[in-house]
Amino acid sequence: MVGREFVRGPPYVGGVFGSITSAALLGVEARALSVEAHIGGAKEVFSLVGLPDSAVREARDRVKAAVVCSGFDFPTGRVTVNLAPADIPKVGSAYDLPIALSVLTAARHLPARPVVALGELALDGRVRPARGAMGAGLVAARLGVPCLVACSDAAEVAAVPGADIFPVADLAEAARVVAGIGERSAISPPHPVVHGYPDLADIRGHRVARRGLEIAAAGGHHLLMFGPPGSGKTMLARRLMGILPELDDREAIEVSCVWSAAGLSRSALAGRPFRSPHHTASLVALVGGGNGVLVPGEVSLAHHGVLFLDELGEFPGRHLDALRQPIEEGELVVSRKGVSARFPSSVQLVAATNPCPCGYRGERAACRCSSQAVEKYRRRISGPLLDRFDLRLRVGKLDPGAISTGETTELVRRRVWAAAARFQERGCLNRDLAPPMLDALPWTGAARELLQRRLVSSGLSQRGYDRIRRVSRTIADLGGEDSVAEEHVAEALSFRVDW
Amino acid sequence: MSGYIDRNDPRFPADLAALSGSPDGLYVEGVLSDLPGVAVVGSRRASRYGLGIARTFGATVAGAGWTVVSGLARGVDGAAHRGTLEACGRGIGVLAGGLDRFYPAEHRELATGLVSGGGAIVSEHPAGTPPEPWRFPQRNRIISGLSKVVIVVEAAPDSGALITARLALEQDREVFAVPGDIDRQTATGCNLLIRDGAWPVLGTADLIEALSVVMGPPPKQRATAGATGGPLLDLVGPAGREVEELADLAGLPVPALLAALGRLEAEGAVLIEEGVVRLA
Repeated sequence: MVGREFVRGPPYVGGVFGSITSAALLGVEARALSVEAHIGGAKEVFSLVGLPDSAVREARDRVKAAVVCSGFDFPTGRVTVNLAPADIPKVGSAYDLPIALSVLTAARHLPARPVVALGELALDGRVRPARGAMGAGLVAARLGVPCLVACSDAAEVAAVPGADIFPVADLAEAARVVAGIGERSAISPPHPVVHGYPDLADIRGHRVARRGLEIAAAGGHHLLMFGPPGSGKTMLARRLMGILPELDDREAIEVSCVWSAAGLSRSALAGRPFRSPHHTASLVALVGGGNGVLVPGEVSLAHHGVLFLDELGEFPGRHLDALRQPIEEGELVVSRKGVSARFPSSVQLVAATNPCPCGYRGERAACRCSSQAVEKYRRRISGPLLDRFDLRLRVGKLDPGAISTGETTELVRRRVWAAAARFQERGCLNRDLAPPMLDALPWTGAARELLQRRLVSSGLSQRGYDRIRRVSRTIADLGGEDSVAEEHVAEALSFRVDW
Repeated sequence: MSGYIDRNDPRFPADLAALSGSPDGLYVEGVLSDLPGVAVVGSRRASRYGLGIARTFGATVAGAGWTVVSGLARGVDGAAHRGTLEACGRGIGVLAGGLDRFYPAEHRELATGLVSGGGAIVSEHPAGTPPEPWRFPQRNRIISGLSKVVIVVEAAPDSGALITARLALEQDREVFAVPGDIDRQTATGCNLLIRDGAWPVLGTADLIEALSVVMGPPPKQRATAGATGGPLLDLVGPAGREVEELADLAGLPVPALLAALGRLEAEGAVLIEEGVVRLA
């Protein structure tokens, strides 16, 4: 048996002690967690203290079975495991592995050695992936100690800079790592992800919409598309993913953290997330929360990616209002039962809606909605939310005779990436340019003049004015220009589609 | 020059003073200049079509640099004033009651817009005078009196707008009318005017041309639409076109087309609404 390689535990006089570090993800913030085990006393008890939830309490049975199945003797007498600090609620099955290791350390089966471990144990000792593995990587990197996680979590956690990752298949292998014997298993590469984004070249016609999509991608602008059903709004939204700038390493880790906190596995290669919750999704599903476990919502799962809300008008107003603040601030704090967690939510909001209840307003086929009905339909989307959309595109019914195929995703992506490189120097996405930054940008005289003229000729709100300036900046970026010229402003003006 | 202007005051509009029924004086808030103007009047219960035309004409006349005169009433009057403001033009609103008594009250904003836009609101009655019904026809003689041309957009056969038109003829002003459907009550008045010799207005270009004959060339030449403007405007046509359609028709690269449209909109030559381009 595997366990025979290790020393047998001595008799435990006066009690013995062992400790292993693990990690808890509070939102995306990784907190170090100390898993302490004490063996002493004659009575045969295995108790778990330190605010564990019921799933954690069940760890006792799994740990006992896994320890025995891995060839160790489970210590006799009273075994007490404490998860500290007590104020962090511990949830789920991720602490099976550190509990088992700390018990083995206390029993002197293993030497005391600083490591960070996280994983669920099967009854036969195999290590299973667990929610929050990214947290273990971050804590281990911070402490500069080895990090033990399940093989399938390893590739993702390995993206954390400075993390020394040991993928462990079972408890025996984990024990060997702690004991400092045996080979380190190779990190199996993540499953190659095929970017399943459909190509822009599939879209016939819609030339203006394509241009809008390109601008939205380059500046990260929130985009509202409206048009009759079946005109291709969803089709366009999916193709946006293919032309977005690549995730950089820092962004990729943040995304992995959120997904890890949600217990979702995600390969580091998978590109920007695209989330499209249905309008019947609950508030918790959208913004995050939950009972005990604080789970990120769709707005956080779409962090550094696209949150696509199809049929925007069908979402309850309360839900849309709740989404507004996280989208604006780029993060949200979820609080439940005295615990709060910070989830990032820097998303590009893409929304699609029909222009009226019947969907055919503005089409040659007449719309039969009364103007009151249209008004009511549009009022469902509150003004402040509408204000967030820098770009509003009308996506009209496709002319079945249109044969003009456009550029491929590849071509458009090249321009977008070049533009993205420009704003990376600026330090933020163009959608996040605040008015003082906009004032400080270089504008040509003609550009200022045109803006001024438009400002005077129609009641443009301050927000509308800033929107046009942001979009102008992006158009200039796409054109490779340092200063915003008149033609950039003029093009941005044509996108100010009222809705 | 807010305040009371006596009839003998040199600032009192000369065209108004020359009339037989001229008021003794005018209470003015704002500036009375660039007179005579062009009156745009019509029914208080105008159709959607009529309101659209009134607004467009208000913007066209004001955009060309003439002063738009109307009565700040519901319907055509309000729409004409609104068009004036949209074109950043100058307009005069003539009230039936005192300058502090608006009817309807919700047009207070339009009135402040006219004053702050370099125009004025005027009345022959002191502050506090209620806008009683019988004062409205009297008010109409000031509207036509301040103008050289009266454009009637929509009018029922017995409406106040027709009274204005009749007064205008008595005062030797030109009357233009917008033709309408022969079976529509609110259009009958205009059609009658045309039968009796009023000039039928057939569009914005036609309007500018006709006004130029009466008033002299427009003070402000319409901003030129740029090199691509002309043909693009022809493509848009009177019915309007979707931006997407234009992209297929114009033969321009999309960014260039969009920039041209943005310029035209800033110049007030077109309106882009919900993805559809219309001539302004």
